[in-house]
Amino acid sequence: MRNLVAGLVAAAATVLAAAPHTVLAQAARGAHPDFSGLYFPGGGRSQTPQQLPYTPAAKKLAMEYESHFTLDDDPGRFCIWPGMPRAVWGAPFTVEIQQRPQDVSIYWEGYGMYRKIYMADHNPPKPVLPSAMGLSVAHWEGDTLVVETSNLKAYPYMARMATSSDAHVTERLHLEERDVKGEKQKFLVNQLVLTDPKVYTEPIKITATLQSRPDLNLLEYTCTDTLWEDYLGQRGLKLPDLDALPSGTAK
Amino acid sequence: MSTRVALILAACVLTTLPAAAHHSFAIYDMSQNIAFEGVVDVVKLRNPHMAMTLVETKPDGSKATIDFVEGAPANMIVRLGLKPDDIAPGKKIKAIGAPRRDNPTQFFLKAVILPDGQKFSVIN
Repeated sequence: MRNLVAGLVAAAATVLAAAPHTVLAQAARGAHPDFSGLYFPGGGRSQTPQQLPYTPAAKKLAMEYESHFTLDDDPGRFCIWPGMPRAVWGAPFTVEIQQRPQDVSIYWEGYGMYRKIYMADHNPPKPVLPSAMGLSVAHWEGDTLVVETSNLKAYPYMARMATSSDAHVTERLHLEERDVKGEKQKFLVNQLVLTDPKVYTEPIKITATLQSRPDLNLLEYTCTDTLWEDYLGQRGLKLPDLDALPSGTAK
Repeated sequence: MSTRVALILAACVLTTLPAAAHHSFAIYDMSQNIAFEGVVDVVKLRNPHMAMTLVETKPDGSKATIDFVEGAPANMIVRLGLKPDDIAPGKKIKAIGAPRRDNPTQFFLKAVILPDGQKFSVIN
């Protein structure tokens, strides 16, 4: 019997050693998958519907918006966070995820966005102010992290999948290994459902994918200085060019 | 000549999504690739989009300022491998632009070509 147990342990160890990063290995250890790492959007197309299922009232607002706003009137030009759920399929910049037992933090280089997902079994905070990322609370279902997000502030930019403050987002995140040019690569797949009965007649389902890219780095992304410089330009003001100053001698 | 388009190809795929890029490029006629050669005058390597002016010297000796009112975000530019010093004021470069549909004197900066032939394309 002892030999049998030892054999099983050895066999399990062999499996883990052969596939240390697989979901199988994590499950065998009784641990949850670790999403931590650097990623880049890609590896799969979003399934955003071409025609959004607007309610009649929202459709009217969308048509009014289209008749008054131009393509230049875009919130992205003014550094406004896309927020949830739009951040999920996000701009083409690095994303960093840091996972702890009590929470998952996500940093998007694009727009310098930041989001925290609190684990339901670690005393998550109560909602405070509605925000672009809302309040996200998650639990594990096997190897899938299920995240519920509400307390979002309205995002009334009809050209960019607008949402009201009644919007609710459910995400199911899991890791996958896929073959990319003959090599196994890690992907974080997010199957997202947006419900917003004030704006849409039915749930909107989107699948977004992040590809693990440990070779990338997270750059600073600031753009409000651009807005201020443009504003000063309209006023005929120019900021001093400190770099044009001659180097002084330190005393 | 090396063309570093992989990241941008990913970006192009994403720009088909509602919030993927900063905004739609439909304000530009992206089917056009107008080539310019000149000296960088003003460059704003910034987010959410860079901007640059290029002074071109015409065969008759007169000068024209080409206004690239928009290009890729600064972060994307440097990820392609283009260094800030490569496009610093005073540097001679070639540039490919797509004109605005409502103002053909303003351009989106599609690509930069350095004197050594290196090409950095932000969109095909």
